Amino acid sequence: MRMWSRVRSWLRAAMRRARMESEMDAELRFHIKAFAEDLVRGGVPHEEAMRRARIEFGGIEQAKEECREARGVNFLHSLIQDLRFGLRMLRKNPGFTATAILALALGIGVNTTVFTAFDALALRPRPVKDPDRLMGVYRTKEGGNRGALSYPDYVYYRDHSKTLSELAMWSGGMHVTTSDLSVVASEDALRVAGALGFRLPQLLQGGAQRLSCVFVSGNYFRLLGARPAAGRLFLPEDDQPGAPPVVVLSGNFWESQFHSNPDVVGSTIHLNRVAFTIVGVTTADYIGALSAVPVLWAPIAVRPLLGDGTRESLENRSVGAGIVYGHLKAGISMTDAEAELNVLAAQLRAAYPEVERNSGVRVVSERKFNQIDSEAWPIVAATMGAVALLLLIACANVASLLLARAAARRREIGVRLALGAGRRRLLQQLLIESTLTALLAGAVGLSLASWTLHLLVVEIASAIPSYWGAIALQVTPDIRIFGYTVLISLLTGVLFGLTPALQALRTDVNSALKDNGSVLGQQLSKSRLRDLLIVAQVAACLVLLINSALLLRGSQRALRVDPGFDSKHVVHLSLEMAEPSNGYSQARLFELNRQLMEEIASIPGVTSVTEASRAPISGGNRFVPVGIADAEPPAGKGGEDKRPTAGYSYILPNYFETLGVPIVSGRSFTIQEAETEAPVVVISEATARRFWPDENPLGKRLVIGSANARPPFAGERVPFSPSSEVIGVVRDVRSLFLNKVDESYLYLPLSGSRYWTSTLLVRTSGSASSLLATLGSAVRRVDANLPVVLAPLEWMVSFNPYFLISRIGGILSSIVGVLGLFLACLGVYGMVGYSVMERTHEIGIRMALGARPPQVLGLVLRECARPMLLGTAIGIALSAAVSRLLSAILFGLNPMDAISFAGVSLLLIAVALFAGWLPSRRAMRVDPMVALRYE
Amino acid sequence: MDRQLELLQGTLGMLILKAVSLGPLHGYGVLLRIQQISKDRLEIQQGSLYPALYRLEHQGLITSEWGESENKRKAKYYRLTAAGKHKLQTEAEKWNRMADVIAGILGARPEEV
Repeated sequence: MRMWSRVRSWLRAAMRRARMESEMDAELRFHIKAFAEDLVRGGVPHEEAMRRARIEFGGIEQAKEECREARGVNFLHSLIQDLRFGLRMLRKNPGFTATAILALALGIGVNTTVFTAFDALALRPRPVKDPDRLMGVYRTKEGGNRGALSYPDYVYYRDHSKTLSELAMWSGGMHVTTSDLSVVASEDALRVAGALGFRLPQLLQGGAQRLSCVFVSGNYFRLLGARPAAGRLFLPEDDQPGAPPVVVLSGNFWESQFHSNPDVVGSTIHLNRVAFTIVGVTTADYIGALSAVPVLWAPIAVRPLLGDGTRESLENRSVGAGIVYGHLKAGISMTDAEAELNVLAAQLRAAYPEVERNSGVRVVSERKFNQIDSEAWPIVAATMGAVALLLLIACANVASLLLARAAARRREIGVRLALGAGRRRLLQQLLIESTLTALLAGAVGLSLASWTLHLLVVEIASAIPSYWGAIALQVTPDIRIFGYTVLISLLTGVLFGLTPALQALRTDVNSALKDNGSVLGQQLSKSRLRDLLIVAQVAACLVLLINSALLLRGSQRALRVDPGFDSKHVVHLSLEMAEPSNGYSQARLFELNRQLMEEIASIPGVTSVTEASRAPISGGNRFVPVGIADAEPPAGKGGEDKRPTAGYSYILPNYFETLGVPIVSGRSFTIQEAETEAPVVVISEATARRFWPDENPLGKRLVIGSANARPPFAGERVPFSPSSEVIGVVRDVRSLFLNKVDESYLYLPLSGSRYWTSTLLVRTSGSASSLLATLGSAVRRVDANLPVVLAPLEWMVSFNPYFLISRIGGILSSIVGVLGLFLACLGVYGMVGYSVMERTHEIGIRMALGARPPQVLGLVLRECARPMLLGTAIGIALSAAVSRLLSAILFGLNPMDAISFAGVSLLLIAVALFAGWLPSRRAMRVDPMVALRYE
Repeated sequence: MDRQLELLQGTLGMLILKAVSLGPLHGYGVLLRIQQISKDRLEIQQGSLYPALYRLEHQGLITSEWGESENKRKAKYYRLTAAGKHKLQTEAEKWNRMADVIAGILGARPEEV
């Protein structure tokens, strides 16, 4: 009812206003008529009397306006009036409006995008029940770092804590293998990534599949208030040592792999050859308290079953097992909970004094993801600052556009001022016009931002192989982001609208009515600011665009770099055994490799197959200290090994011919030498040059490694040989790093029957990628349960971090550069347009005196050419400085590459000149007679 | 006739209140009455009359209603309210006091300082 009465009084006010207007009009008219009648009574003729009465009264409209103001004009009414007028003005100039909205939408959109990403990572609370009361419990070390609690401790806290309810634990994850599924093909997902030069090695179709699995306690889902999309989620009973093994699927996996088939619930799946029952499915994108969506959820108790060997670590009090979460009970604060848990910790310390203990426990709010740690804050601040700057630049450019247009509206404003419009009212109206534009731009910017983010997230998510899990970033705009956008839109509107509005109001009414536009001194101070803006923008654009061109060209070179081996004709086959055994015995593994190599060798199109401990350019770089045998090793303090290190790998004798690496002198291993792992070694040319620069290295001996060296990873072996004879020298290759040739490399003999490696390399006679499917079927023929990844070696290049940084950097900076260029052109457009407006009179005179249109054009453009050229010069200088820093990822491209520098600079100048040419066409079309008459 | 005196700033409202206190008037009538009482010695801008009337009405010192004029035409008549009456009194007192003070200052002789 209150709503209705409010509407009614609003209607009444609206109607009353109309009535008031007519009443006021009638009243004033009456006055004039009465006065005229008095005059008529005095003998003046009727016409003359009316004329005199009107003159005597003064301006009716002015009086009316003052009456309105005296009555107290309704703010809302004036607002609506201004809005309607503003919309009309915007519609009348569609070109200008569209350009301004586009420019602002860019600035606002970018701002919103960055803010949304920041919000998704750092501000949004976790999507769980009651995130404000969610706490994490950590062990503290002396340094204050947060460590994981052990399982028995967790159980103790869980059973005894009175301040935290329902303590649950997340205990890490692992990859498990299953052969019950076939890999779902996602060929189309690579379209964007592939077009940009990224290729990810895909899992073999039809082979066994590797899935990511996380372990949580039985009450985890209950704590976080999760609901199943099908079936049920875990109960504490599932997490007992003898319980039947169960597993929960993630909604994403259920959709992509099983097409949301509800029959999956209750079926069996074999993980690492152990049978599990699928009891339920989480909702799509369910993330719990993690940062990424896993494929499978399993109870902690089943971890030992999967061959992880951690049965005893679950019972070991000194081994950290996982992160513990709990909810604060009502009325309890975080400090209370921490105090209580520390008391419990003291009890544990007393009960188990022999166990290594740290200082205590800490309770921390787990409300947010907290992805951004302290080192990243400066980057975040810098990014937000950068996009805010971008928005400011957009505003400045639109302001200069507005100034150009304000000159045209001077007449209109003069007339309105003459009619009695209050200056404040006029200011309000102009500001509303600019705010309206900004709000429209905000709407466009918001949709742009959310569309872009959605696209990015979807593209990135689909490029990641499904067996890695999924990323679920909440980037859909919610009320907060919407509010942020509205806020900065309003600020933007006021910001860019204020200067032109104040400018417009300073007009002298008389000169505005006479349309006096040729004032010379009036705008000089403004133009210096504008010049500076143009210089800055042009320089910034140039830096971005030149460097992006360098990065893109450089990363393109990376794809074409000759690594020294034949990457186009070699396929890398990697056996993705999740954990060492994966259910296979050692003997079986050797047999497997042998069978695989036989089977593959028999495929037509395969020239040779070899085995190695690592494939080139595929990571897994290993180094070992090396020295000349019998020579004095360089002394280091405390027995430290100061010998130079060399990369190494274990290979079969036919490695070099498989990879197409020429043997420069000497020979490769014999089969005998390989089998017995004789103390012989093949070295690269660079290694030979390093140790024996002027001698023949063949026959010389090297001491490799040391007896007590520790392996970098458990289960790996470290080479050690007190004296190995150099039997061959091979051509240098780039197998460790993409951007430089290996400094030193050793090839050691591999015994296929004593050590098992997971890397096979296959040489094909045709193109490697064409043989992938055939190789896949060959593998399946040998063992259908093997998880295998196949990729031509040339694809591994695009997986290299240097390439990635170079390519991604190039793409990003070119996007930003193009956006910046658009804005800079807007600035040039506005600047030239304004100066044309100002100098119409002068141009008319010149043309009347005989100047031809091209001369006039030159005159107008010369003004904007100066800041542009200055900006270009500064930009080139800055780019040169920046590109020197980038030389590491340019892959040999000259940091002062002429094509990039010259090409981009010319392009920028051409585009900017075009932006200046557009408004100056008006100048050329000036009719001298018309211009001269503008006195 | 002597030249007409210009109105002092802010006094128009007071004069309107006085004029209306003598009986309800429409806008033109207010003008005539002021001219009449002042014996035509004041110069009043006709256009500024109505904003002043509207301001006084907004302040609640006068009210208006539509009625019929002498020539049977519709006109808006203004009447003094109780608040207006009170305001007129206080303004008149203030004016007289101010006039006294100023007259005293202006009439001061050198010996009296």
